[in-house]
Amino acid sequence: MLRTVLSDLARLRLNGFVCSVTQVREKGHLNRPRLRNPYWFMRKQRSQTDDQVTGENRSFIKEVIHDTYGTPALIKGVQTYEQKQLIKTNEVPVSTEPWTPAVRRCGLIARKIGQYPLWLKNGERIRTTLLQVVDNHVIKYTPPEEYKPTQRPNVHNLNRYGCILVGAESTNPAQLTKEYCGIFRDSGVMPTKNLARFIVSPQAALAPGTPLNVGHFRVGEFVDVRGKTVYHGFQGVVKRHGFKGMPASHGVTKTHRRPGNIGGGGEKGRVWPGTKLPGHMGNRWRITKGLRIWRINTKYNVMWVQGSAVPGSTNGLVYIYDTILPLRKPQVAPPMPTLYEQPEDDAPDDIWYEQVHNFKDESITYKPE
Amino acid sequence: MNINVRILTKSVSQQYAFKRIVTFSTKPTQQAAVAAVPQQQEVTGPSVRKPIVPAHYRFVYPEFLPDPKIEWRNAIREKLERLDMLDRRRQIELPEFYVGSILAVTSSDPHAAGKTSRFVGICIHRERCGLRARFILRNVIDHQGIEVVYELYDPTIQKVEVLRLEKRLDDSLFYLRDALPEFSTFDENMEAEPLEEGAPVPINDIKVVLRPRPWLERWERQNLLGVANIEQYIKDKHRKSAEKVQKPWEKFDLMKQYRATIPEEEQKEIFAEVHTELHTLELQRKRNKRKRTFVKPKHLA
Amino acid sequence: MNQADVSKLMSQLRIAVRPTKRNLKNPDGPEGRLLKLRKTVTALVKHERIELYYNRADEARGYAELLISNAIRHGDRHKATMELADYWLLEKQLVHKLFKVLVPRFENSTVSYTRMFKAPRDYPGMYYRKSVLELRGNPYPALIPDNSQNRNLLHNVLLDEARKEFRREKLASLANKLAAETENATASTIETPAQAPVTDPQSEQSKQAEEAPKA
Repeated sequence: MLRTVLSDLARLRLNGFVCSVTQVREKGHLNRPRLRNPYWFMRKQRSQTDDQVTGENRSFIKEVIHDTYGTPALIKGVQTYEQKQLIKTNEVPVSTEPWTPAVRRCGLIARKIGQYPLWLKNGERIRTTLLQVVDNHVIKYTPPEEYKPTQRPNVHNLNRYGCILVGAESTNPAQLTKEYCGIFRDSGVMPTKNLARFIVSPQAALAPGTPLNVGHFRVGEFVDVRGKTVYHGFQGVVKRHGFKGMPASHGVTKTHRRPGNIGGGGEKGRVWPGTKLPGHMGNRWRITKGLRIWRINTKYNVMWVQGSAVPGSTNGLVYIYDTILPLRKPQVAPPMPTLYEQPEDDAPDDIWYEQVHNFKDESITYKPE
Repeated sequence: MNINVRILTKSVSQQYAFKRIVTFSTKPTQQAAVAAVPQQQEVTGPSVRKPIVPAHYRFVYPEFLPDPKIEWRNAIREKLERLDMLDRRRQIELPEFYVGSILAVTSSDPHAAGKTSRFVGICIHRERCGLRARFILRNVIDHQGIEVVYELYDPTIQKVEVLRLEKRLDDSLFYLRDALPEFSTFDENMEAEPLEEGAPVPINDIKVVLRPRPWLERWERQNLLGVANIEQYIKDKHRKSAEKVQKPWEKFDLMKQYRATIPEEEQKEIFAEVHTELHTLELQRKRNKRKRTFVKPKHLA
Repeated sequence: MNQADVSKLMSQLRIAVRPTKRNLKNPDGPEGRLLKLRKTVTALVKHERIELYYNRADEARGYAELLISNAIRHGDRHKATMELADYWLLEKQLVHKLFKVLVPRFENSTVSYTRMFKAPRDYPGMYYRKSVLELRGNPYPALIPDNSQNRNLLHNVLLDEARKEFRREKLASLANKLAAETENATASTIETPAQAPVTDPQSEQSKQAEEAPKA
């Protein structure tokens, strides 16, 4: 709560507004899932009906799709299309400015595909989550002058930054609405199931059609991962906030999983904002910050990041960013604006962080003193 | 012959003497079926069909099958996990073993003298899949029951030896915690008892003797086959409550079984992927064993 | 959990399986649920097409599929399968039907053994979704007419024309390309006897292909 207050105050000072009353609520947003779409919402999927198209015509439609976007192919473990004729416009200047810690680079769209343990070279077991970068392509770049979002993201001094629209997982355009497909028209990229916008510095601009791979990040660096947490529905305080509840017996009646007292009387005789009570649990956007990348597989575009607390369910979408934690920012310049060259054919698929035990190595032994 | 016989008290040993004589089950249980099927296949047509994955692989390498929970499955994760498991198996010999087998595990330990420790014990439980696969070894040392949980693919494990390859009547032997200590006592310097090549894994039908109540679990509710004297300690009320929690309909609940298993087609795919690698590792192991047996007489002479 | 049960071996189902079961509200708990589903499975095997609430149909469908697949896998000499059939089929003559009619019918099937359709619910009435569950290869007339071959539907007519034009354009562009190539070849080098016979059959083929869609 304190943080939101501070940020509110900071914003006030920056914008120079004079505001008499600032109402402070706990989280600054509604505490339940949104039931209506915002006015700028664009429908993505066409309603699916049985078209009763003959087999001949069905294959003709498929042929046209393959003619424009390439034949279906399994690229890096993801079912997609060979998109050979991508437009790479020269409008976006590829800057040669050096990287500084203040530069914001583009992020990636990934799927959380599971978790399993790895071991460090000192024998310690670490838990890791596997994130697969799924068929990412840059769709559009908006320079800072033109970038005026309807919903202002919480970024300090937004007019310094441009915006990159990235799409992931190409899909059959026949299933999508015309308006949605229009987003992709200028880029030449096949319409994708998922979109994300990343706020970037102008130095990190990318041309539409550029494929993004896991090589965008390097082993040993730290990333922030944003995802929507698993929805648990309306939950009590024991599950939602980890309250202990009360004993099952010894004279306890009807208060086994209740919160108990929620406040005092007198002048404070009300429920204070932010009191932990039952309510909707999960289904929120959350960012886990500063996760180290332990290992990268270039063949399947997979990265192993620290911990098993990445928000979202297995097979759910997450967004990967460079970390904003100042002490964990990279010391050496990362690939700017992204890694264009593909790994060589004879290069090993796996890149391991130096501290991690490679399963191809011999068993760990300790030296006697 | 082995430690059990020496330790058992006379009365107990007369009743429940540990026999190396193995009873083969006549029932069409999983083990018997498994033992029979691959042999038949080998005899009938190795020349006609291409090499098929032996049907007993799912018992030997259960950790290669993923968790059947649908929400947690992902083909690429499972594939990467299997590749890592094979990489580890190339470095260390992880032999076939079952719940009830007696193992010796040598692992590096920064706190031990000499930086390695060896633990001998009976495998009382196997669980989890993939790189998390683990097992519990139990032994009684200095009148103190000791259990150690080992992760199968932990790189600090240096060596896994199977001292006696056999199965017990039950799928997990947690009841040894409540049994007399003789039943989980094994000699640390026990020598390996090799099985003949191609012989089916013997089932040890020893029945353990439980201590009187209180127990760690309500063993009377679990339909255990390997316990001798459970009737001795339970009263009518225990019998009644045990009857109440039985679920005789579960054997007809096909969908429940389906959701707890990996379908045969998928198993075939998975094992076809790792079969050649595992098979070459097995052959290599056999060759090494033969070498060892060849060296031994020289050493004695 | 966290490890697959290896003691049983089952065939893969060709239907979408939910990750969890539906409890199907029953005072007798899980046993009562099975007893309830037993009636549905028996009715399905007996009548081959039944109309019922969607949830119950979807739950019973899996059991029916597995019962048939087990019968195919083990045959009628297998004791456990016989017990299963005995439990799931309340009328004992249906056990014979399972092994003597359904097993031969579905032995070489590559698709699911049952089909499920969404059915309209009566209004006003219970708000539960309804569905029709049927065994494939049943003797009744099909529920949904097969319109996939109806060329006279408007979009099929339009798509037909579009297809013809697409092919024509493609062939034209190909022919132009070839013509340009041959011109270039003849212009640049005089001795091109090897290329000429190669191009000729192609153009002939393309002509034939051009005629084919018209016919």
